[in-house]
Amino acid sequence: MQKSTIQFLLINCFLLLILVSCGSVAENFTPKKLEKTTFEVPYFSDPKIDYVYKTNITVYGNDISGIFIAKKINDSIHRVVFTTEFGNKLLDFEISDKSFKVNSIVSELDRKILINTLKEDFRLLLQKEHRITAAFEKDGFDIYKSKDQNRDNYLFVSQTSNKLEKIIRASKTKEKITLLFNSENNIFADKIQIIHQNIKLQIVLQYLKSE
Amino acid sequence: MKIKLYTFLFFLNAFFLTAQEQKMTAAEITAFKEDVNVVSKKIKSLSTDFVQYKHLDFLSKDIETSGKMYFKEPSMLQWQYKKPYNYSIVFKNGKILINDEGKKSAVDIGNSKIFGRINKLIIGSVSGNMFDDKEFNISYFKSKGQNIAKFLPKDADLKKYIKQIELTFDKEEATVVQVKLLESSEDYTRIVLKNKVINAKIDDSVFTN
Repeated sequence: MQKSTIQFLLINCFLLLILVSCGSVAENFTPKKLEKTTFEVPYFSDPKIDYVYKTNITVYGNDISGIFIAKKINDSIHRVVFTTEFGNKLLDFEISDKSFKVNSIVSELDRKILINTLKEDFRLLLQKEHRITAAFEKDGFDIYKSKDQNRDNYLFVSQTSNKLEKIIRASKTKEKITLLFNSENNIFADKIQIIHQNIKLQIVLQYLKSE
Repeated sequence: MKIKLYTFLFFLNAFFLTAQEQKMTAAEITAFKEDVNVVSKKIKSLSTDFVQYKHLDFLSKDIETSGKMYFKEPSMLQWQYKKPYNYSIVFKNGKILINDEGKKSAVDIGNSKIFGRINKLIIGSVSGNMFDDKEFNISYFKSKGQNIAKFLPKDADLKKYIKQIELTFDKEEATVVQVKLLESSEDYTRIVLKNKVINAKIDDSVFTN
């Protein structure tokens, strides 16, 4: 009898675990009244600014470093270039919500899976306007949910500073990509981290201050 | 009428171009190469400050980084960025040692052809002794106080990364004052060398990273 109770408890625990891990990212969020329909991210939106970052990429234990450069070249498109510290161009993209063009890429990086991953990361990073479908709050953050094809983006805005500090891109059940922002002036981000949950890829961007 | 205007503009253009930069004569080329060879043969060690300007056509301003470079015979090289970040790279005994804001890593380049080439290229660029390099088609120009050598890579692999290398020499000293690496007609990296010190003692420990 006792044995079967333990078994029953164990099975219940497993079920609970499965249910919890299958739960939506927003499960622990407290719903809030939706007061706006769009959220604008300021960090890469000014066409007058050259956004230049020292970059460290860790991919499956390998480190790559260089300079990440982004510039808004018209209403919808950003030009994105990644170079070595010496200035050699490693990749050169043009990206918008709907379009994507590779201007150049060195053969060592010319892998479809890598390009697609970076495309998704950069698109999320550079996207200016998010259409909000739901609002929540948790731990001092207002959280806005935005649908993006078969993914949901959750934007975390600090209730005290009113700055966007985090974006989580998730499937129905799992977090896929986390973007963390540190911004002093709410004009550009001083530090950005792009963390992948399902592959061992992390990108850290540190703003280059010109003197 | 239109044709006349174009012809006039063409000649005007050609005039200004030649006023800035003129092709050297065969005799001038020989003399220039000789000068550079004499100086670069004497270089046992070299240290210099540098400012690097990365020009991308779509940016409103060049990206400026700066630091110090050390070279010691036969082939030890350190390229050290100090502003706006600390990043240094050492080429030594077939290895590349990187120190990125205190984060260290090493790459064994061993017999890697492309890195061997890059190493040779950097040392050649700074010392100026690249004229015997069979990998390039070289052309020579002169302007006020300066001589310019333009290197066009022959190799298809190298061409993918570098369209042209331009070395600018001080006429008096016959040493390199500027290195310009062109990736395309619009995008390039320009490195200005200054406060150059030749043959001062440089300790091997500089190249440890």
